[in-house]
Amino acid sequence: MTAKAKIALFQCRWCLFSPADQEWVDTQLPENIHLTKSPCTGRINPLYLLNAIQGGADGIMISGCLPEQCHFKTGNLAARRQLEEFNDFLHYIGYEKERVRFLWLDLQDRGIIQKELAAFEKELEAMGATHHLATRIMRAEGGENA
Amino acid sequence: MPDINALRLEAKRVLREGIVDVVVGFKPGDSPLHPQPAFFRNEDEVEELIHNGLCKNNLANYLTRLPKQEKVGMLVRGCENRSVNSLIVESQKERDDLYLIGVPCEGIIDWRQIVEQAGEHISLVEESETLVTVHTPAGVNSFNRFELLHESCQRCLYRNPISADIVIGDPVANGSLDPVAQKVKDFENQDIEARYAFFQKEAERCIRCYACREACPSCYCAECFVDHNAPRWTESGATPAGMQGWHIVRAFHQSGRCTSCGACERACPMDIKMTYLTEKLNHDMREKYNFECGMDAETKPPFQTVTLDDKNRFFLGGGN
Repeated sequence: MTAKAKIALFQCRWCLFSPADQEWVDTQLPENIHLTKSPCTGRINPLYLLNAIQGGADGIMISGCLPEQCHFKTGNLAARRQLEEFNDFLHYIGYEKERVRFLWLDLQDRGIIQKELAAFEKELEAMGATHHLATRIMRAEGGENA
Repeated sequence: MPDINALRLEAKRVLREGIVDVVVGFKPGDSPLHPQPAFFRNEDEVEELIHNGLCKNNLANYLTRLPKQEKVGMLVRGCENRSVNSLIVESQKERDDLYLIGVPCEGIIDWRQIVEQAGEHISLVEESETLVTVHTPAGVNSFNRFELLHESCQRCLYRNPISADIVIGDPVANGSLDPVAQKVKDFENQDIEARYAFFQKEAERCIRCYACREACPSCYCAECFVDHNAPRWTESGATPAGMQGWHIVRAFHQSGRCTSCGACERACPMDIKMTYLTEKLNHDMREKYNFECGMDAETKPPFQTVTLDDKNRFFLGGGN
């Protein structure tokens, strides 16, 4: 892979408790990482993951809170059930399981997400591009599916 | 085989006594291979009622399509009974508005196999417990009934109705879990390339007619995710990504809600294999959450419930 691995980052807006980390994610993300902030991991529909894969992402990282630390009490529990199953299901039909990474963060964690993203990017680059699961045909800039 | 006269008598009785407004069952179709779903609203029509191994629809499908205020009587086999239960859990119908006439099921015959082996010109199909006799202009052929069964019926776990108001016919033996688990494991043990190649080959034949969706009792959304185009949930055109997306998400929406009746596969005009997807999800629900869809009318599917017992399954500090 010549270009850097493309990562879709789905982030729960409460999981980075330290303002410095959140600031880094909001403003200083490298260009190959596409950030989607959601109110809670429970809001992340499995379709978002599929959409990211079909849109050409090499890997997906989902960062959320640990159990009992969810801002909405149980959002992360519901998310884990669905998203983990969706990942298993994608693996069953031939998509590499390692390309979807969950990052459950403790409220005390500082500076974890940067390290994890860098490690994940390295792993993805070692794995190379995938030809499993078709990507959608890109429309012109500003088109409906672009 | 259920006694058809007993079924008709019971259907007539519930209509006459006003217990239900409509009885959903089957009547003969254009060809002996294709009995069609029928709605009986008065006693005279019930004479047409039939029930045999070629009745391939899942009648629970009509529960959400009939007017909500109607009291419905329905002929249910094991899988249909479970689908009805799962719809009650999802508040699509009140149990009090239903009268379920249970029919122990010996499996649905795959009509495609009959056509393959005996040709298209079929005048009569007769069944016994072990044999299927097919009459064609060329002669009479007999086949082993079990071998003609649809794949998901060969592995059926619950053949008897679970919560029917009345069961007509003798109970039959239930299936065992082993062949189901074995099938999922066999597929899982294949190489990742082989798995993807199989999925790709099946998905790319899709003509996007959505017959699988229409045949499925669990697919009752007023607007399906593929029909919703502003904003678009996912690629929904007739492209490789669109086909794969449809197959992935259609199956995934059934997780914890599928009863493995196989109606989707039987409805597919392109003969695409689909039950291997939903069976994996059902298998996972059994393994991870000890949940079997439709076994009662109260337990919610795993994705609708959350429990802190799950917390040990989070991996602390990241990683998979």
